[in-house]
Amino acid sequence: MLSIKDLYAGIDGKTILQGLNLEVAPGEVHAIMGPNGSGKSTLSHVLAGRDGYEVTGGQVRFDGEDLLALATEERAHRGIFLGMQYPVELPGVNNMTFMREAMNANRRARGEPELDAVAFMKRVKEEARHLKLDEQLLKRNVNSGFSGGEKKRNEILQMAMLEPRLAILDETDSGLDIDALRVISDGVNALRTPDRSIILITHYQRLLEYIQPDHVHVLVGGRILRSGDKDLALELEEKGYGWIEEEAAA
Amino acid sequence: MSTLTEQRGWFSALASSSEPEQSGPEPDWLRNTRVLARDAIRELPVPNRKLEAWRYTSIEGLLQQEFTPAVEQGRTWTHEELEPWLGPAADVYRLVFVNGQCIPRLATGLELPTGVTLGSLRAALGTDPKLLATWLNHTGAHEEHLFSALNTALIHDGLLLHIAADVELDRPIEVVYLNLEQDKALLNQPRNLVVLEPGASATLVERFIGAEEAVYFHNQVTELVLQEGAELRHYRMQEESRASWHLASLYLSQDAHSRYQGTSLSFGGRWARTEYQARFQHEAAQCELNGLYTVGKGQLTDFHLDIRHSVPNCTSRERFKGILFGKGRAVFDGRILVEKQAQKSDAQLRNDNLMLVRDAEVDTKPQLEIHADDVQCSHGTTVGQLDPQQVFYLRSRGIDTDSARRMLCLGFAGEIIDTIEVPILREQAMERLTATIRTATETLE
Ligand SMILES: Nc1ncnc2c1ncn2[C@@H]1O[C@H](COP(=O)(O)OP(=O)(O)O)[C@@H](O)[C@H]1O
Ligand SMILES: [Mg+2]
Repeated sequence: MLSIKDLYAGIDGKTILQGLNLEVAPGEVHAIMGPNGSGKSTLSHVLAGRDGYEVTGGQVRFDGEDLLALATEERAHRGIFLGMQYPVELPGVNNMTFMREAMNANRRARGEPELDAVAFMKRVKEEARHLKLDEQLLKRNVNSGFSGGEKKRNEILQMAMLEPRLAILDETDSGLDIDALRVISDGVNALRTPDRSIILITHYQRLLEYIQPDHVHVLVGGRILRSGDKDLALELEEKGYGWIEEEAAA
Repeated sequence: MSTLTEQRGWFSALASSSEPEQSGPEPDWLRNTRVLARDAIRELPVPNRKLEAWRYTSIEGLLQQEFTPAVEQGRTWTHEELEPWLGPAADVYRLVFVNGQCIPRLATGLELPTGVTLGSLRAALGTDPKLLATWLNHTGAHEEHLFSALNTALIHDGLLLHIAADVELDRPIEVVYLNLEQDKALLNQPRNLVVLEPGASATLVERFIGAEEAVYFHNQVTELVLQEGAELRHYRMQEESRASWHLASLYLSQDAHSRYQGTSLSFGGRWARTEYQARFQHEAAQCELNGLYTVGKGQLTDFHLDIRHSVPNCTSRERFKGILFGKGRAVFDGRILVEKQAQKSDAQLRNDNLMLVRDAEVDTKPQLEIHADDVQCSHGTTVGQLDPQQVFYLRSRGIDTDSARRMLCLGFAGEIIDTIEVPILREQAMERLTATIRTATETLE
């Protein structure tokens, strides 16, 4: 479904991704781990099409299509969703209105009829309940004054509503206490289907106890230095990243 | 560039070009008021860049235009001509002015509760002279600047609203000013008087509408007197023609415990200026002013606030926001003066501007002058662009760039629109703003 070949990308003249390769098949969950500054968020931004990043080499195909040639919103229409590490606040933009606009924009782009207001309300409230997200937050402005945990839940709520084909979750676990982590993990697990893939970007092995990945990759210095199954995550937990860098240098 | 003498000549010529006192017998006090105003026209400084209050707002273009005071309707307007501008008068007391004159037959819902006088100021000269003698020009508006003096010299018609003590008006009053095209460029000068006796309460909506290409100068003076404990919610939506000049000067006088809540939306006009002058006469009065302006190509929009805390314990809140989307200019000059004896004053002033294009200009000048030592005062102003991170966030959810920008602009403006407590006006404002922003965002790169 997603095929990244020898990707070089950077920002402000600095090359951050240095020949990255990744293949994700439908229904798979891939964890990408790596030290701070290794390029994890950069990868997620490049895949989502954020302005300012320059791709200097390689290619990315999504269902065979050249992903990098598409505008950000077109990627969303194709089913790419990015759960952000730092979700921004949107002052004055009502959360519920925003979610309905987003859903309908995607539906229009796919030639589907818009969701009527009643059906939408029913669904969004249901999903919020699953994620133990206070219904009041739906009436507030997007992420405005939300706590860190509430912002992350609001991201997963959007994922649940938008039903993406590929979700990239960038450090969705950071800053969460153990209860919130469980709720969010349950939310993500509930969204696992045979044709929906997930890239979990995380720092800690902890998240992977709740969401079992099919593959684990280690990203260091803009390249995937090692791939394995979930045992690799345990090994990283034990030994840190240093040994991988040493092995790679050797 | 004309000389100061020539510029003053423009005012005095207009002031003497018509003699409203000739159109019917007039009481002495009104004659005297006109004399005072004509004297003031000889003496007041001519607005120019050297005066602080006019530093960023040129009147050169205005003074190059010839106007004819619209003291009588040059013609009669048919129902069919006027109706399309007005829309349904749902649940309001409505009064309509065309080119500054009240058209009584267009008023609706005027079976008013006792204690409420609402109608044409001109008509009230015959029916209620005592009320006018007491209050008209009570605030001394003619001494403030040449435009108010010009309005006063030619007082002819306008809105009169008087509410007796403790009367609460059940429905909003909607006053529509239609400025329609005539063969000459008109000077339309409604002179409004609003007096709320102690404990009275009302909601007043003013809408300014201009026919598309009409060239005119709407020079309005509104005096607002709020007696003890009175409450006025006052919403104004300005949609003048793109070829017009619009100046609204509001003179607000507040007694103890009175509450004024004003929201002004400024969308139209080639040159539009709104001035609020607020004076607290006694303690514990509250004044809240909100404003929103949009500035497109070739437009100048100016807000001027002159708030004076001269007695203790009064509160003033000023929140103004602007969206600039075309090569044009916005001016915000907000001045709050807290005098020495005005302890426990609470004043907060904000002005935020969103620039969608590079070649728009904004001059924002918040001024707090504080002479008392036990006060709570603050001011802040920002000039910024749309945040690319916010636009990205929306786009990553499938919303296209235009819509994303539009949502963010409406979100920015929403805080001001939400202060309007009349649902139909809020909807009308949202509709107008959405249309404006739509055109604006579609022309951005
Ligand atoms: N705007 C930018 N300009 C220059 N360098 C940047 C910019 N944004 C991020 N970087 C750098 O790119 C590298 C990778 O950052 P990032 O992708 O956020 O890492 P991670 O998410 O793995 O912690 C870091 O060294 C960071 O400092
Ligand atoms: Mg990161």
